Amino acid sequence: MGMLNLVLSNFSRKPPTRLYPFDIRAPYENFRGRIIFSPENCIYCGICQKKCPPDAITVTKDEKTWELNVFRCIMCTECVSSCPKECIVISNERAKTGPKEYIKIVTPK
Amino acid sequence: MTTVIPFGPQHPVLPEPVQLKLELDNDVVVGALPSLGYVHRGLEKFIDTKDYNQTLYICERICGICSAIHSITYARGVEQLMNVEIPERAEYLRVIWSELARVQSHLLWLGLFADGFGFESLFMECWKYREAVMDIMEMTTGNRVITSMCKVGGTTKDLSKEHIDIILKAIDNLEPQVENLEKVFVNNYTVKKRLVGLGVLSKQLAYDVGAVGPTLRGSGVHSDIRESPSWSIYKDLNFKAVIENDGDCYARTKVRIYELYECFKLIRNAISKLPAGEISIPVKGSPAAGAEAISRAEQPRGEVVYYVKGNGTKNLERLKIRTPTFANIPALLQMLPGIKLADVPVVVLTVDPCISCTER
Repeated sequence: MGMLNLVLSNFSRKPPTRLYPFDIRAPYENFRGRIIFSPENCIYCGICQKKCPPDAITVTKDEKTWELNVFRCIMCTECVSSCPKECIVISNERAKTGPKEYIKIVTPK
Repeated sequence: MTTVIPFGPQHPVLPEPVQLKLELDNDVVVGALPSLGYVHRGLEKFIDTKDYNQTLYICERICGICSAIHSITYARGVEQLMNVEIPERAEYLRVIWSELARVQSHLLWLGLFADGFGFESLFMECWKYREAVMDIMEMTTGNRVITSMCKVGGTTKDLSKEHIDIILKAIDNLEPQVENLEKVFVNNYTVKKRLVGLGVLSKQLAYDVGAVGPTLRGSGVHSDIRESPSWSIYKDLNFKAVIENDGDCYARTKVRIYELYECFKLIRNAISKLPAGEISIPVKGSPAAGAEAISRAEQPRGEVVYYVKGNGTKNLERLKIRTPTFANIPALLQMLPGIKLADVPVVVLTVDPCISCTER
């Protein structure tokens, strides 16, 4: 009897799925979408590089560059919690797909 | 004369890459030989290059479905190694998330199992309910499957008042839905006809071959790591293991369905007792050279065992993982003889095989 009830009650319901590309659910507040780096306060200490489990971050102190390999990043937020100057934040916006493997930020001297 | 038919590693019913060489006498299985090694990733060696905090993220990726409990078990192992005592709130939060992971895993399995014996609409129904749990996971931790909520020394995420209300509301919604599913899986004539008396594993045999989890409890052996003294928190939450005595596919299905109610009870009790305070403590230093620890936990599929050994540096000397499916494969081979070839997928699915776990 249980199955018949399930099937019959589904007639009067809307589909539980969404028409994806047209109907996108707003991301949750805590959702780990993408890493955003702001170079203003960065001291290029390299702690994020040391903590990163998949070795996705490369920091060079002399040239003042910060590089993230987005194909390797696993969104664990170790860099976010370890940054002493709070330069790295995580946004709940979903990252756009594309062929670009690296996000490189160079601070002008 | 017997014929040998290979079952897997690519099979329409079983997406897991395990091969069983089935020896058939006409239509009846008389013997089975498993062959593993199709998805070995060498993760136990890979941790040589990572420190003990980074290793947690590798342990989490051993299995997609029980990732939360993998990371909790590893963290408990390292905490034991370094004599760290985590805050009480973190213990409760870990229980809440691991029970939510168990709910989604059991609903996933029920769906796959229904698909395995040809009940497509039931499969869709189970996965629809599972989606509510996945949404909670995403809302509270930030990811649907790989939650990364655990760390050595506590948890990385906290539950806010709103999150707790949402979880309680979702569980209240889910419980009548699971009762509906229970009616189908337990009372339906067609399902019973297909499952009762199939793939019987006796109590003594299940114990002798070292089965774990629902496979063992479905055969009537009272064994659940959540009742052991190392998990004293579950005793406070009034946990009772689910046991069925028949040892067939029907009994193993019932164990998983009744465990869902037990999970709901545990989550409710954990939330009502959730103490205030810190969620983690900073862990400094590294494990002592030669220090060893074993930590065990009950995953949806059964008992997982982590062995960790320190060498005085940040890196671990050795990490050894015994996953539940590895222990259940001998039990599976004992169930197969005597059943028909058409029933093999159903019996293989009842141990809930996770080969990526097994081969690591």
